[in-house]
Amino acid sequence: MIRINDRDEIEWEKGLTISGLLERFRYTFAHIIVKINGEVIPRKQYPTRAIPDDADVWVIHLIAGG
Amino acid sequence: MKVLSYDPELCTGCYICEEVCSETWFKVADAEKSSIRIRGDGQGILSAVFCDQCGECIAVCPTEALYRDKKGIVRLRKKLCVGCLSCVGFCPQGAMFYHPDQTQPFKCISCGKCADECPAEALTIIDKN
Amino acid sequence: MSKQTTRRVLAEYAYKPSDVERGYTGQTLYVNLSDNTIEAKPVTDEMKKKFVGGRGFDLWLLWHGVKDNTKWNDPENEIVISSGPCGGITQYPGAGKSLVASISPLTEVVIDSNVGGHFGPLLKFAGWDALEIQGKAEKDIIVVIDGPGGRITIEEADNVPVDTHLVGHWLINEMAETEEDRYYMSTVSAGTGSEHTRMGCLNFSLYDRKRKAPRFKQAGRGGIGTVFRDKRIKALVVNSAPVRGDSNHPADPARIARAGTKLHKEIHDHDDEQCRMRRRGTSYLAQIMDDYDLLPVHNYKFGTHPDTPKINGDVWEARYTQGLPDGCWYGCTLACAHAVDGYTLRTGPYKGEQVIVDGPEYETIAGCGSNCCIFEPWALLEINFYCDTYGIDTISFGTGTAFVMECYEAGILDQEKTGGLELNFGNASAAVELLHLMARGEGFGKIVGQGIRRMKTYFAEHFGADPAFLQDIGMEAKGLEYSEYVTKESLAQQGGYGLTNKGPQHDEAWLIFMDQVSNLLPTFEDKAEALHYFPMFRTWFGLCGFCKLPWNDTQPPDNAETDEPAKIPEHVQNYVDVFSGVTGQEITKEDIIAMSERVYNLQRVFNIRLGHGLRDHDNVPYRSQGPVTIEEYESRAERYDKQLQEILNLAPAGMTTEAKMAALREYREEQYEKLKDAVYERRGWTENAVPKVETLKKLGIDYPDVVAVVEKHL
Repeated sequence: MIRINDRDEIEWEKGLTISGLLERFRYTFAHIIVKINGEVIPRKQYPTRAIPDDADVWVIHLIAGG
Repeated sequence: MKVLSYDPELCTGCYICEEVCSETWFKVADAEKSSIRIRGDGQGILSAVFCDQCGECIAVCPTEALYRDKKGIVRLRKKLCVGCLSCVGFCPQGAMFYHPDQTQPFKCISCGKCADECPAEALTIIDKN
Repeated sequence: MSKQTTRRVLAEYAYKPSDVERGYTGQTLYVNLSDNTIEAKPVTDEMKKKFVGGRGFDLWLLWHGVKDNTKWNDPENEIVISSGPCGGITQYPGAGKSLVASISPLTEVVIDSNVGGHFGPLLKFAGWDALEIQGKAEKDIIVVIDGPGGRITIEEADNVPVDTHLVGHWLINEMAETEEDRYYMSTVSAGTGSEHTRMGCLNFSLYDRKRKAPRFKQAGRGGIGTVFRDKRIKALVVNSAPVRGDSNHPADPARIARAGTKLHKEIHDHDDEQCRMRRRGTSYLAQIMDDYDLLPVHNYKFGTHPDTPKINGDVWEARYTQGLPDGCWYGCTLACAHAVDGYTLRTGPYKGEQVIVDGPEYETIAGCGSNCCIFEPWALLEINFYCDTYGIDTISFGTGTAFVMECYEAGILDQEKTGGLELNFGNASAAVELLHLMARGEGFGKIVGQGIRRMKTYFAEHFGADPAFLQDIGMEAKGLEYSEYVTKESLAQQGGYGLTNKGPQHDEAWLIFMDQVSNLLPTFEDKAEALHYFPMFRTWFGLCGFCKLPWNDTQPPDNAETDEPAKIPEHVQNYVDVFSGVTGQEITKEDIIAMSERVYNLQRVFNIRLGHGLRDHDNVPYRSQGPVTIEEYESRAERYDKQLQEILNLAPAGMTTEAKMAALREYREEQYEKLKDAVYERRGWTENAVPKVETLKKLGIDYPDVVAVVEKHL
């Protein structure tokens, strides 16, 4: 299982990258921060970094709307 | 169009060009008021930053203060400049400079004074098309 | 400045503009149109210390100018305009904003509205920290503030146009003698729509040097344009000496320049891969909101629509003229004030004219577009242009029209009642025609122009509509129409809209992502903390003259690694540096909150003084909290069923949709009441939303007349 934002849970898939996860949740906003098990992941790693099983994932969205 | 050209192989790092430039345009010897900056990387490699008249700043200026003169040199019309420093932030070379006791920015306009005075002949004015 | 005029001068005032010192001229200008008084009032140290400028000065002057029972259309009502100490600096992006305040024809309490353009900074450079207008003229007038000429006049204005784009032509052709004259002149104007609706807006001009044409930004919310025309003002005109980098005579120009050039470079290097504001402005948000199921569609019933790509950021990037320095004040390199040039109007009194359309921005795209199921770019351009020139708020028009369309499709309205308009969702031509009717104050247009709150009463009384249904679907609170975000699944943003002083405008708080998506505000205390911090933080921009978009629509690349990335700490530090650099006052990030708290609490007390402002005033329509209709429930059935199960321990499988909806509603309405409790406590207010005396004391605004208002309710 992977837990996202302390609320949503999905089955772990081998090879599911951060980009893949963002696409699945339709998280298209530019100003996001992704943390896996407390570690902030640099944006350039999103397409290649795979999410481990039992990961605690945060996709933090910053503010929009001025 | 005449632009400044710099040869790092000949430069001895004497910084006379910076003095000459600031004296010419600001009447004071102050590297922070020079439109040419010589930089060392700490390991003996020198480089120079100065305007190559690319003109990218012209589009970002909100008051049309920046323009290309008849000789192709990018100039600043002081009467129109509102001191927003957008050009300073947008210059791809970092060659538009700003000093706190001036409200308006400044840059190299290929006057050639530094080239005249450079003892190592590292600076020349060349024709660029 | 201006050419010889044949207008009759009703009053004249000679003066020498005060020098600006550290962001302040030290004078505000008072004009009374009933008796043609023009006078200077001093800015006291107390005003600067407690209220800073901008909205703070507006409220302070308005508080002293009106009486407890002043109505929006009484002569005592005022329109007050002020930018703030940082207004008019050129080095930091987004430093030209002004705040306008008045008593609103829609809400009957105070409205404050923020706006770009050049008027506010030029007003300061003409010698005035604020402009305060009271009274009503007998016939149409203009007020002209000529800084270099040292002269202020009230002049009869029979031959001055009313509609804004014509006022713009008049300004540059009739008032300016040379091209250079145009640079440092600006107008405030409304339009014929402000004469016939309660949702009138103000237009603040800026002279676009590349286009050689005037353009306009709007003080949109709350109907201040309606007050403007009620006072018989056609235009305010200001002219100042040329703007320079040190026009504000700042205390520490180097500190300001460091922050400014750093942000310019950050925008240059990163905007393209972030929000692309320089290319598409706020239109980028349309597709994003749709992706997150937050874009208002069908009068906020739904959050997404397959046709959104027809009006998303890609479309507008292609339509806006690219490569121009589209800052609404000098030095804004975020440059989000885009325009479509050479658009030929298809309808209305200016049909056939080729015009510049200032926008559309996100709120217009969502409000007049998706919310009404209109996905045709031409219609958004047409509506945007006409709303601006008529002086009608596009948000109130969009949300209002969406309400009308739902009533039409629900059978509450029909063609007989609408004077022939088939106001189905998606009927762009009918929506455009409705706008023209509203501007003329004719037929059904006159009714819609009253706004949703009054339409609710009208439809119930005259068309036999169910008032409870209308209350549920009519997206207004306090009498002001909602701006364009779907809040159903974010309790924090329900509060972000409902627990405001002015009405449901996202100016105060935008918490949807933090709450609904990122789940960063799980408890009531978290939400209350956010509903304290963000409104206070965001209020601050409007005290100083700043636009908040450069705060959060662009980010330093290393923002992710900071402690509280949602606050964008490096940018907050920039603002501290710029404020201190201008005023010479050393402040901290914490001081920002305290400065705003004073103004915010004064505004709350002001609402109470005017007869509202208590707990009930913060009620919201159920459409903002949950599904009103069966199709809404069913569009999110999985999510709602899950909540009934997990939170309320109910078994949705065995329940009818109606029963599920009733259970969900009871729960959500209860949650909102609990949110009120948590937020009022955090803000130092009573359960009835009254600022406590100890709170006023702590903030240093326990003036006798302020305390007298709250004491009646304690």
